[in-house]
Amino acid sequence: MKQPSASARRAVVFTVLGVGLAAALLAGVTVGAVRVPVVELLRMAARAFGVPGVPVPDAMHVTIITALRLPRVLAAALVGCSLAVAGVAMQGLFRNPMASPEILGISAGGSLGAVAAITTGLASASVLVLPAATAAGALLAAALIYGIASVRSGTSLLFIVIAGMAVSSLFNGLVSGMLLFSKQYEVNAYLFWTMGDFEGRSWQHLALAAPVLLPGVAALGLFSRELNLFTLGEEGARSLGMNVETVKRLLLALSAIVTGAAISVSGPVGFVGLLVPHLLRLLVGPDHRVLVPASALGGAAFLLCCDLVGRTVAPPFQIRVGIITAVLGSPYLLWLVVRSQRRGRA
Amino acid sequence: MPARLLEAAGLAYDAGGHRILDGVCLTADRGDLVGVIGPNGAGKTTLLRLVCGLIPPAEGSIAIGGRPLAAMRPAERARRIAFMSQDTGQAFAFSVTEVLLMARYPWLARFEGETDADRERTRRALAYVGLAGFEDRSFTDLSGGERQLVMFARMLVQDTEVIALDEPSSSLDIRHQDRVFSMARELARERRAVVASVHDLDAASRWCSHLVLLDRGRVAAAGSPEEVLRSANLDPVYGVRTLVSANAAAGGLSVAVMPERLPDRGLRVHLVGGAGSAVNLTRELLRLGCEVTGGIAHEHDSDEKLWRSLGVEHCAVGAFSRIGEEDIDRAAPLVEAADLTVLCPFPVGMGNLGNLRLAARARRLVVLKPGPGDMPRGFFAEEGRRVFAEATAGADAFGYEQLIEELKRSGKPPQPR
Repeated sequence: MKQPSASARRAVVFTVLGVGLAAALLAGVTVGAVRVPVVELLRMAARAFGVPGVPVPDAMHVTIITALRLPRVLAAALVGCSLAVAGVAMQGLFRNPMASPEILGISAGGSLGAVAAITTGLASASVLVLPAATAAGALLAAALIYGIASVRSGTSLLFIVIAGMAVSSLFNGLVSGMLLFSKQYEVNAYLFWTMGDFEGRSWQHLALAAPVLLPGVAALGLFSRELNLFTLGEEGARSLGMNVETVKRLLLALSAIVTGAAISVSGPVGFVGLLVPHLLRLLVGPDHRVLVPASALGGAAFLLCCDLVGRTVAPPFQIRVGIITAVLGSPYLLWLVVRSQRRGRA
Repeated sequence: MPARLLEAAGLAYDAGGHRILDGVCLTADRGDLVGVIGPNGAGKTTLLRLVCGLIPPAEGSIAIGGRPLAAMRPAERARRIAFMSQDTGQAFAFSVTEVLLMARYPWLARFEGETDADRERTRRALAYVGLAGFEDRSFTDLSGGERQLVMFARMLVQDTEVIALDEPSSSLDIRHQDRVFSMARELARERRAVVASVHDLDAASRWCSHLVLLDRGRVAAAGSPEEVLRSANLDPVYGVRTLVSANAAAGGLSVAVMPERLPDRGLRVHLVGGAGSAVNLTRELLRLGCEVTGGIAHEHDSDEKLWRSLGVEHCAVGAFSRIGEEDIDRAAPLVEAADLTVLCPFPVGMGNLGNLRLAARARRLVVLKPGPGDMPRGFFAEEGRRVFAEATAGADAFGYEQLIEELKRSGKPPQPR
């Protein structure tokens, strides 16, 4: 693989991702129980920009687009982008293509925060409580993983998976314990949340999450070079002059906050952080300065498509997006394990 | 005295409740290639990691160019000292160029990208280590030796004045091993200070300007290779009996491990040799734990050189000179003190005729038959054939293997038949 062809390949991948994301956004707002013609969309856009002489679009269409579909697709794109970037950061940090917020138990930590907020009734006090509690739970799990990984710096695949499983089951156990002592409607609210979906996500959800997610994702992107250095091992990174402990803590905290805030919007949607970066790494190579933006685009497009599939595959039912990603992600994860076993790198 | 470029004093390090390094000093100036030697677990790698600031010392100080390492920010430290680890593991399939460009990290500002000059630097470094054309290869697809060479190139790209190499040749074949050491010395000559942990003592003697011998976390000896690589220093540290000799072929010293000397094998054997006929037997007998003496040989003869380099007590005469009666008298005490004298299969001429007369004085004489690879025992003078017959009358003739077997089996001189 020559240098020019590598950059040409990257250009192709980015073009495909960009076009794909735009197409998914467009499809996301037009397709659904009520089909909104693209012409109507163009009319709305033209009027929004004050172009004179454009016919007035149908009022119902305007409502469907602006109040229902636009916030929904933007939420899906934002969450997909955030989870994928958090996944890239985790994989780079632990030099391990299998690390991701869900495998490391950070999502489970978020769930614990969420259930705590719901069962204590605090979640209904303010819309800020659920996202904050979710992020706090994710941070707690990240701190645990940091502690475990610091005890033994060699983070083999098996070790990370087992540590993540331990953290996950600890938090899941705590969640179950909390649910045991809560009221039926709270259990329902929690279960509803855990399935992960974008139905009924409003501008308010976006307004809460975006100010955390966008800067968080951008900040993770700024550490691309450090993520590259982590693949040399912590000692290798240190010998090249990186302040390893500080960067590690910062990246873990950022990833946890981003994951927590993202799943507070959507519920714990699995596999995005694992599947998207891994797939893109095969296409654009491991350089995080390319991989992070590619994953951001890819994660957004992927989750949008999953949401779209869930909405359209079996009308009038909507299959929740978490189910779609799990159905797509589990076989991929299995394939990944089998492949790394074959290569003897597990 | 001006400060050395790298100055580490009184270093101590604790791990798992044990002091694994204590009171270690290490200095290196521009132009030095300092080798750190010692057995496994002596603390070589720990010392290098301390010097590079990868782990903090429990006690002691490290300074580069007079500036304490502890006062440097990580990036400044990485601009002054580079570390080449034994571990070249890599999780993701970065290209060789990408791996090399990572070494520019300490030189780049937060939002600064690598420049064309940086890329040019990686190309030059790759060409230097002999991997031109590997730029776009995936690092994970390289062999262990190639990875190690890339790591060496990475250090060049990092461009520091002090370089620490941890077992730089551990996974390399002999050609690349030699290449890595000669590159390390070249770097030193370019006014850098190079410190390397080395297992191969022969290579250390050949390439290093100074050696530091570590023993369980302490410095057992330090100085020039000739000063450090002595059996008196090495034996207690490595816990074996070593034999240090001049390496005639490659230069430097050669360190060989001898088996434990068994008390009942302390046989004293005198080798009457010359023309290299005693070389193999000398080595083999020393390995068996025999006490070997030699002579008479001519100076600069390969037997004489070996005996000299091994410290074997022997008797020699000037090159091309004839062995006279006084020489025989000089050598006679060695022969008479020997439990066994072996007459090696050297060609007999006028110059070494005296050796046959010397052999005749042996308490117990064995004539060594020329082996399949040896030249047949020649006689350049009729007198030689006669003297040979006289001297070896009643002596047994043994093949090389036969003699060694006999000595191994009984530990005594072969009994007369």
